[in-house]
Amino acid sequence: MNIYITDGSPDGFFTAAFTACNDINCTVTSEQNFQIALNSQITEIKNDPVKSNRVRKKIAEYDPQALHDISILLLRGAGTKEMTALNYLRQIVKYKRPVRDMLAVPPIRIAMEERRKVTLEAHRFTGFLRFMESEGGIFYAPFSPDNDILELILPHFYRRFSNQPFVIHDVSRKKAALCNNGKSRIVPVDENAQVILHENEQCFQALWREYYQSVNIAQRPHEKQMKGYMPVRYWKFMPEKQQEKLFGHFRENDGLHPGK
Amino acid sequence: MLDAERLKILTESAKYDVSCSSSGSTRSNRKGGLGNASVGGICHSFTPDGRCVSLLKILMSNRCVYNCLYCPNRAEADVPRASASPEELCELVISFYKRNYIEGLFLSSAVDGSPDRTMEQMLETVIRLRKVYNFNGYIHLKGIPHADRLLMSRAAQYVDRMSYNVEFPSEHSLKLLAPQKSKESVLLPMRQLSIEKCAADSEKGKCRTRFLPAGQTTQMIVGASPEADGQILRLSEAMYRKFSLKRVYYSSYVPVVHHSLLPDTCTGLLREHRLYQADWLMRFYGFSAEEIAQENENLPVDLDPKCAWALKNMHLFPVEINKAPIEMLLRVPGIGTFGAYKILKARKFTNLCFEDLVKLRIVLKRARHFITCNGKFYGSENSVSVRNMLALQSKQEKYEQLSLFSEPQTADSVLTGQL
Repeated sequence: MNIYITDGSPDGFFTAAFTACNDINCTVTSEQNFQIALNSQITEIKNDPVKSNRVRKKIAEYDPQALHDISILLLRGAGTKEMTALNYLRQIVKYKRPVRDMLAVPPIRIAMEERRKVTLEAHRFTGFLRFMESEGGIFYAPFSPDNDILELILPHFYRRFSNQPFVIHDVSRKKAALCNNGKSRIVPVDENAQVILHENEQCFQALWREYYQSVNIAQRPHEKQMKGYMPVRYWKFMPEKQQEKLFGHFRENDGLHPGK
Repeated sequence: MLDAERLKILTESAKYDVSCSSSGSTRSNRKGGLGNASVGGICHSFTPDGRCVSLLKILMSNRCVYNCLYCPNRAEADVPRASASPEELCELVISFYKRNYIEGLFLSSAVDGSPDRTMEQMLETVIRLRKVYNFNGYIHLKGIPHADRLLMSRAAQYVDRMSYNVEFPSEHSLKLLAPQKSKESVLLPMRQLSIEKCAADSEKGKCRTRFLPAGQTTQMIVGASPEADGQILRLSEAMYRKFSLKRVYYSSYVPVVHHSLLPDTCTGLLREHRLYQADWLMRFYGFSAEEIAQENENLPVDLDPKCAWALKNMHLFPVEINKAPIEMLLRVPGIGTFGAYKILKARKFTNLCFEDLVKLRIVLKRARHFITCNGKFYGSENSVSVRNMLALQSKQEKYEQLSLFSEPQTADSVLTGQL
């Protein structure tokens, strides 16, 4: 059994796919602490643009939209993301046509389900992301999504706040997108980013908490539904879900925990 | 700046408005502007009652000259009163929007002074947001009955959605419970707006004016007056057809005010839930109000409306999952729109068997009695036993060991969304 270890980039995946596509029992992964079987042969993949472009070209020939599907699958924050994408890719090669509607075929159904998990989370964060105004007028939003969706949600905020300089910080992946005046850049940022807040910021957060409490109809409690739509793991950066006013000086390891 | 206390009063008065959707508008951001509308709508938070927070739902003022019996803000009521100026509201909206707390504004108001004056204030807020603050986010404006036609048309050019509340399903109840409002004061503006929207939409070219891109909605209270569900659904159907409404919202009656003309008990969420189910059947599943319920009949409590319809029309079932047209698939109890389209896609390539449906995550608890897969039937033949089985399942969920102090709960099935 062969194990191909990639660097986690799309290029690495496509380079691995070049050999792995026909290697039926192999595993492709980018995980560091992968459990290795006894009889396994490990190959470390070096990104090879020639190989990866050949795979890309062939896939695009069969289904022009499949590359987009695969790029989304590779953003999934699970160790099996490369295998999901590879199995999907194999089906495209097998049928030589777009396969995304063949939902009765297990690998395709799984790929579509995983793809949905990524796009759903991206959609959720267009709503759940919270900005804070810093002293210099830059809006800063920390978040830690399950999947690597920073690039997916960026265009949305880019259109919406075209006039407003802002930073979206993926705390768990230690990178941030800086946007200002029609330009954006993604840079690696330490998780201990320190932001000095604008003097009015606390006041607006308090108003928002007040609003959140007032708009609730207490006679009709339905906490289960709330948690279903807005999972508790996202609450960490939402001011309305934080009882105490803890966004004074924001620091990641200050012990920010979801209120109750 | 609006202080916390007034924000609280104005929000608590507005929270019983059900509508909070921010979908349907494609307004885009202009150069130098702030915000845009997202066509699918975005929920920004969820409150502990399970409802989403999408728009900043707020009243301009809760000082009201009207005395509608059911309303907590009616003229005679002894409640704290407050109002906000257009500038204060704009500031609040912009600062919330910049922090991505909200998708836009839902502005409503009590009739403060006269209907025209109230509408003018609301219009000023909206125009200020659009022109001074260059705000291109979503705005939902509540129409004030009896306000001038021109004010209404002018507002419609700036906002994304407008709504006039019908309040009650019949003219008689409206007269009795909201004496200062009349059927005409609500329906005429709705008709007027739908005509004007039609005219605006048929204009072509780049410089055509935008007119209510997300259409109109309305809301009615269920259970405060004696109308049956059949009658309510017929009214909704007529409004969908005539005024091309986007949504009708139903709110089950909660007794805030005690009065001899009003019932003293809550209507319960189950009735509201059944009405919404029936409403969805009319809008997305091709049902007519006629098929769902007789005019003087209520919707069944122990079964959902689609299931009840299917049991009455057993001669149409079972349908073959691999051959049935989409219209018929949508009528199978338990198969929703997403399920139907998944089946439609998947069956192009292979004949689906029962196990495939399970894998596609089609809910088969109800559906299996009404379908065949490759000619094979997996349910129970006898419609009486099917009925008992489906109704019984919902009853079993209700059994529990009662303690001396436990309160009776009827709305559990509403929460789970099952039968």
